[in-house]
Amino acid sequence: MNAQPHTGLVPILLIEDEPSVTAFLRAALERHGYAVANAASGAEGLNMLRGGKYSGVISDIRMPGAVNGAEVHAWIQKNRPELCARIILISGDTANSETQAFLAQSGTPCIEKPFRVQQLMTVVEKTFGKP
Amino acid sequence: MDAAQSRHLPGFLERFAERAARMLSARWCAVMVFRGRETDSYQTSSGKEPPDAAEHTSLVRYARELAKEIEVRQLADSGAATEPKKSKVAVFVPITASDAESLGAICLVCEKKPLGEQEQRLLRALASHAALSLENFRRFSQLERSKRQWVEDIDAISDYIVVHDRSWRVVRTNRSLASHLGVPPVALVGEAMSSLRQIAESGSDLPCPFCRDTQQAREEYVVASPERIFLVSTSRTPGVSDDDTRTIHVLKDITDRREAERRYRELFDSIQEGLFFATPDGRFLDVNDAMVRMLGYDARDELLRADVGPHLYPAAAARERFLLALAERGVLRNYEETLRRKDGTLLHTLQNITAVRDSRGNIAQIRGLMLDVTEQKTFQSQLQRERDFNQKILNTTQSMILVLDTAGLISYANRRCFEAGYREDELIGHRLVEWVETSHRSDFEDALETTAHGQQVENLELRVRRSDASMGHFSISLSPMRDEQNTVNSVVVVMTDITDAALLQAKLAHSEKMATIGRLVSGVAHEVNNPLAAILGFTDLLLENPQVPENAREDLQIILRETQRTKDIVQDLLSFARQRPVQRELVQVNSVLRQTIKLRSYDFASHGVEVVEEFDEKLSPAFGDSQQLQQVFLNILNNAYDAVQESGQRGRIAIRTRLRGESIEVAVTDNGTGITDPERIFDPFYTTKQAGKGTGLGLSICYGIVRAHGGEILCWNNSEQRGSTFVVRVPVANEATVAAAMAKEAGR
Repeated sequence: MNAQPHTGLVPILLIEDEPSVTAFLRAALERHGYAVANAASGAEGLNMLRGGKYSGVISDIRMPGAVNGAEVHAWIQKNRPELCARIILISGDTANSETQAFLAQSGTPCIEKPFRVQQLMTVVEKTFGKP
Repeated sequence: MDAAQSRHLPGFLERFAERAARMLSARWCAVMVFRGRETDSYQTSSGKEPPDAAEHTSLVRYARELAKEIEVRQLADSGAATEPKKSKVAVFVPITASDAESLGAICLVCEKKPLGEQEQRLLRALASHAALSLENFRRFSQLERSKRQWVEDIDAISDYIVVHDRSWRVVRTNRSLASHLGVPPVALVGEAMSSLRQIAESGSDLPCPFCRDTQQAREEYVVASPERIFLVSTSRTPGVSDDDTRTIHVLKDITDRREAERRYRELFDSIQEGLFFATPDGRFLDVNDAMVRMLGYDARDELLRADVGPHLYPAAAARERFLLALAERGVLRNYEETLRRKDGTLLHTLQNITAVRDSRGNIAQIRGLMLDVTEQKTFQSQLQRERDFNQKILNTTQSMILVLDTAGLISYANRRCFEAGYREDELIGHRLVEWVETSHRSDFEDALETTAHGQQVENLELRVRRSDASMGHFSISLSPMRDEQNTVNSVVVVMTDITDAALLQAKLAHSEKMATIGRLVSGVAHEVNNPLAAILGFTDLLLENPQVPENAREDLQIILRETQRTKDIVQDLLSFARQRPVQRELVQVNSVLRQTIKLRSYDFASHGVEVVEEFDEKLSPAFGDSQQLQQVFLNILNNAYDAVQESGQRGRIAIRTRLRGESIEVAVTDNGTGITDPERIFDPFYTTKQAGKGTGLGLSICYGIVRAHGGEILCWNNSEQRGSTFVVRVPVANEATVAAAMAKEAGR
């Protein structure tokens, strides 16, 4: 658990298996005033969701292990209805037809890797609001 | 009167002449007997002054000329002067048979004096007596002759003849029988009949070996000895006494005839062909065993009882036709007829028939020989069926089948060859190798050589000229065909045009390759995107950081730019791999093309590249994604532009649209440098452009888009001018394709 709650702020849960991407996202979000907790896999992300409180979730779609981004999304839909509209997906693989179908059906915002900091912040502020 | 009789007759007639001369006091007398033209003269030997030869001749002539009953002729005086002259006359009386035949005459020479009544009566009586005697002599001699003739005739008969009386004694035998026993015929006369047992025996208890039933006037039966077989014909002439009761046996040696008959019967029955004698109204008189067997009857008698018409003929008309043909021709050779066996099965026969006609010319008997050709017929029809079957296969197969002689000349071509457009006169008698593409000819010759040596050659793939002069890709198999001596005498060639199949296979291989590459690219892109995201992100963060010095900031800008470029490459890769669904709508291909050309028209004009539009203005709309199609056309146009620029000559790009079957075809032809490797041009990362000018993914993406539209994209180097041609085909929008696409969209 790398949760390092920011003073007085409910953190955003960041689920991403790639450490360099996690590092960049954390740096970018924290620099813009957000608190960040991160999980290195889908399964770990679900554990944290069960035990903690988060202002929103940013999750990679394609991750190794038993739980991928789509399943995280589905779990939230079912168990954390208050977070339903507070999910941002990131993807390095929108070419995949399953991914496309999932995105089209859920209407969840998605940022394609690689992206500029400005792109990220626009979507984050729009979805989670300013910190 | 013949010579045999004359031995007894002359003495009698001479004595008769003596007596007549005496009775009538004649000097000389002669009885002249006519024998045909000859006249025999029987005369007195002691008469006075017999006539000399000349006188005798005259007398004979007078006798021959005799017309009256009694004729007297004056004779000339004799020249002798020693005697006193006395007048002489010749008196003639004819000797006439009871049937008025003139038998001869009595001639008397006497003194001239009138004949008294008494003398005349005497003369007539003498003539009558002479006639009677002569007639009797003649009858006896005839009797004698015929008796002798009869014995000779009996003796001449080769059959044995024996006559016996009631006391079983031999009365007479003929010479054949006697010589059979080695004795003269007379030696057997009086012998007991039992002595003839050695010839043959009838088997009765009677003393005669040839008698069976003495009550019968006539008998006929066959008796046999160990060596010979006789047909004994017996006649009995009953009489009052033992002496005049005669039994006559005639023994005919029929050993040879019997043997011939036996052989004939044996042949008749043992011959494997059916033989028969029949009446025209349909009854068998005789049939042999083979015939009985052939027709499936149990016994000869059964078949003899059968009614030929209804029993043997499946159809009455056939029997009538047969009788009609026979009546007309008399002989039927190799007449084919289907008959019915006893069990109802059909028997195919070949018959040779002869009609035996009666005196009025009607058919009295039918004789024939019959062959069972059912097996041959069955075999023949089987052969025929097989032949028909084979012919059908040859005619309906989709492969071209040819037969070549060992020199490679075509001797046979099946129907398919002609359906494919080849003419008989350009195939038969020509060398098949002439149709093979020049560069492949040695391969074909080698295969032919191999086959001529007995080895099969299979699935040889060669390019062969079609009847329309185009080249096709053919799969060719050659098989040796052998004669009875097992020598290869011809080669069977089976040729199949696999051009379409080869193309399809190439396309399949290509799309498979593309799919594999797609998956690979997708994986790579994803992996690259993660570090790229970190690089791009941190670069952004650094640039946002006011503590970063200005010179470092410039370096960061370079990193940012190169990262962006890397991102673009990965984006291209992804859009190649990305199977984004086609946004289907009705698309006017011509207008999409015009918009695309407009995008580059400035470059074309400023670099002197001529663009020629040959559009079919009546083109039906396609059903697809206009943006994607535009991307395809743009890509092709860009490539064409680059190619004509590179060539350094005045560039020309011709764009033609037309309807081709159910597809809209867009052909873009340039006069540029051409394509180095048309086979690889759609492969991802294949590029001939300078580094940094292209990723090598453009045409791969085009390929993916066109395939997603259900179309195809092809390219080749022009054959008549430099440069290359790209062809894009997409299906025409019709109700079926629209409906199918809609249904697919709805199910998504």
